[in-house]
Amino acid sequence: MTRIKNENELTLCTQCILPDTFPGIKFNEQGICKYCLQDDKKADKPKRKNEYKLKLDTLIRDTRDSASVYDVLMAYSGGKDSSYTLKILKERYNLKILALTFDNHFVSPSAIENINNVTDALGIDSIIIRPPKNLVTELFALTSKQDIFSKATLLRASSVCTSCIGLVKSLVLKTAIEMSVPLVAYGWSPGQAPIQSAIMKTNPSMMLQGQRALFNSYTGTLKDRLKQYVVPEHYFELYKDRFPTNIHPLAFFDYNEESIKKELVSIGWGNPKDTDTNSSNCLLNAYANYCHIDRHGFHPYVWEIANMVRQGIIERDEGIKKIYTEQDPKMVIYARERLGL
Amino acid sequence: MEIKEKIKAFIVENFLFGEAEGLGDETSFLEEGIIDSTGILEVVDYLEEEFSISVDDEELIPENLDSIKNLEAYITRKIQNAA
Repeated sequence: MTRIKNENELTLCTQCILPDTFPGIKFNEQGICKYCLQDDKKADKPKRKNEYKLKLDTLIRDTRDSASVYDVLMAYSGGKDSSYTLKILKERYNLKILALTFDNHFVSPSAIENINNVTDALGIDSIIIRPPKNLVTELFALTSKQDIFSKATLLRASSVCTSCIGLVKSLVLKTAIEMSVPLVAYGWSPGQAPIQSAIMKTNPSMMLQGQRALFNSYTGTLKDRLKQYVVPEHYFELYKDRFPTNIHPLAFFDYNEESIKKELVSIGWGNPKDTDTNSSNCLLNAYANYCHIDRHGFHPYVWEIANMVRQGIIERDEGIKKIYTEQDPKMVIYARERLGL
Repeated sequence: MEIKEKIKAFIVENFLFGEAEGLGDETSFLEEGIIDSTGILEVVDYLEEEFSISVDDEELIPENLDSIKNLEAYITRKIQNAA
């Protein structure tokens, strides 16, 4: 098994944790990366967070009574971030929520238990969509061996994760349109997606082009078999008035990993012991990370964690530990064997 | 630096690993997978700061944002309208 370089063998930004192996990175004389330098120019972040809270309050007030059944469809992985988002949406806003979980056959048993406990405790309807095992095995075997998507996707996630989350996003959008749900919620951490995308009306023509770009990366029978999980092309015109507003509240609510985990205990969520340090629900993640690091020399979560270090949400040392610790060999081998590789 | 050069430099630096090869003025960011719908908002954030403009939600459409040529025309219009 390839050994992954640790923080002492790489040059890291002296402010965040991005390494010199991160594509296109540049450092100034003080060893500060260009992303930290750009970030320093952005002013008044607390003010911006408050503006987004008010924006969400207004959006929910305006949409609450327009829904036929559910106010919001939550993309629910059972991890800590999406569980905490559910808690906010239920306890702060008392919304009618449908939680949709995409079971990729690598959802950890403890995450399934968390999904059941949390949705029961909050009184939320839950559906789980679980494609056939041979389909996801083929998909993940392909994307663990090859980078089939655009180069830009590699900066933010492994190809395995991009293939999985691409299906989740399409499936959630398709379901929201079919059920006329006006809001779609994700549990993106404050490091995963920029605050300006935290409340965003989905634009049909943009979504169509994005979906085409992703799914045209597949070929042959795999592409045909994945079609049923994506938004049919005629929906983009026929149902253009039903396209939901996407929200990811953790971009602007207070975010502290340990506090979140403690709060979640009250609704039956337990910290999984069977996942890697960057996931609280997926047993494929360590192998996906391993493949990405092996091919590209940087961790697929480093962008997210660097953003969180930059925002002061986690300490730099903690970020370094999350990113520059070797993937658990047992978890890597477990996933590889299950994919038949 | 002209508007077009500034935009191109931002796209290349932030989405293309610093490699401009294959990025033409009319290349669709979305169709080519260079930028996804979330990435477009990073571009919007940059535009608002760099050119001191405000992008409204209804302006978040491919016709305004999905290529260097579209972006240049959109920013030029915004600046002219603000003047």
